[in-house]
Amino acid sequence: MERIADWFVKCFTDEAILSAIGVTLKMAFFSCLISSVLGITAGLLLERYNFKGKKLIIRINRTMMGMPPVVAGLVVYLLLMRRGPLGMLGWLFTVKGMIVAQALIIVPIMTGMVHQHASGKAPAIREFCMTVGAGRWQTVWTVLREMRHDIYFCIVTAFGRSISEVGSVMLVGGNIKGKTRTMTTAISLLKSQGIFTEGIALGVVLLVMAFIIQWLCDFLQKEESADENN
Amino acid sequence: MKITDLEKNVGNFNLKIDDLYIQPGLIHGLAGHNGSGKTVLLKLIMGILNPDSGKIDLEGIDRRNMTMMSQRPYLLTGSVYDNIIYPLKLRKIKPVESKIDELLERTGLLAQKNQYARSLSSGERQKLSFLRAIIFKPEFIIMDETLSNLDPESERAIVETIKGIQQTRPVTWLMVSHGQDVREELCDIIHYMEKGRITDEVVKG
Ligand SMILES: Nc1ncnc2c1ncn2[C@@H]1O[C@H](COP(=O)(O)OP(=O)(O)OP(=O)(O)O)[C@@H](O)[C@H]1O
Ligand SMILES: [Mg+2]
Repeated sequence: MERIADWFVKCFTDEAILSAIGVTLKMAFFSCLISSVLGITAGLLLERYNFKGKKLIIRINRTMMGMPPVVAGLVVYLLLMRRGPLGMLGWLFTVKGMIVAQALIIVPIMTGMVHQHASGKAPAIREFCMTVGAGRWQTVWTVLREMRHDIYFCIVTAFGRSISEVGSVMLVGGNIKGKTRTMTTAISLLKSQGIFTEGIALGVVLLVMAFIIQWLCDFLQKEESADENN
Repeated sequence: MKITDLEKNVGNFNLKIDDLYIQPGLIHGLAGHNGSGKTVLLKLIMGILNPDSGKIDLEGIDRRNMTMMSQRPYLLTGSVYDNIIYPLKLRKIKPVESKIDELLERTGLLAQKNQYARSLSSGERQKLSFLRAIIFKPEFIIMDETLSNLDPESERAIVETIKGIQQTRPVTWLMVSHGQDVREELCDIIHYMEKGRITDEVVKG
């Protein structure tokens, strides 16, 4: 027992491990934030307005939702590499670059999920808003408020996606120790080197986080199903 | 309010109203079989649906001063109370608690004041919808079968409330109701609909 405790203390005072946890959280937080703002806006606009080419956009978005993350990583890599169109930013092998890659993966997912939830709920909410004389922005606000559980659910899902990503992060971030190494990329590297202890510690942290996310999702869905009593 | 040459197609259904006048300050009834187009007409008037052609002249009424109680009311997440004060909140009017309690009491919803709105029974939902609609004193009120599903006492309470409002300030009502007794008691004019057309009008008195 004591030895396990010692081992934990050792792991969680190890600078490299703490850095990997920090990088993961930072990356997940910012990519989730950016994706949420863009994805929620896009999803709601897509539901609200009808325009030419809307079906095509939805189809393209669906395709992007299923895009293998490594492909997104490659695209961002090509954009950010020194001779690439965005090379002057110098974001390759930085956390910023990783956030961009993550956003490229998550924005379509967020857009698609929000669009789907909104298609089911928003029309009735807007209709109601009209019957009580709500103004334009009051209506937008009411739609957001009434859909908040769906939106939280989408955000939590996006966060979960972000912390568990490996391929694109490895490609764009380069898995540099203490800088762009995340929990998942650290685990895959440690495993390939035959070092398991630290990998297990990180794995435990990831599992705990996955558990919390799962629990949050369940909780939000339960709230939601208590609502459907029509 | 004046409707002329209004036409609307939804799916295979065609609604065509050549001429309909809603006289301010009166209670208008709208009757007709299921699927005769009553709800479609009400939604056009409320502005939820846009007409294919023709005109709805509101004659100076602001849509923000109109309200419609839907056949299946949308309930906001939150309590009965949250739902009822919502139109006031939109207008930044502070709710008067005693007044709201009195309305809830009268319709028999007081015990449900803090209950989660979506757990209400269908009759209770209709009553909530009614209170939520009249709370902000609109000048034009549309009711889509709000009185169905109500027990006799509740129906009476709502009818009396409508009469009470009518005595204090002039409000224009347009209500769909399948109950003949209520229609005859309340309505000044009844419009009959059939297959998307107004077929008859009966003026009381
Ligand atoms: N969105 C729609 N798409 C296709 N058909 C529709 C649509 N909305 C209404 N209809 C059709 O239009 C007709 C009129 O519908 P409406 O809801 O106005 O009937 P109603 O007079 O209100 O009936 P009820 O007394 O049952 O409420 C119905 O036959 C209905 O099926
Ligand atoms: Mg109807």
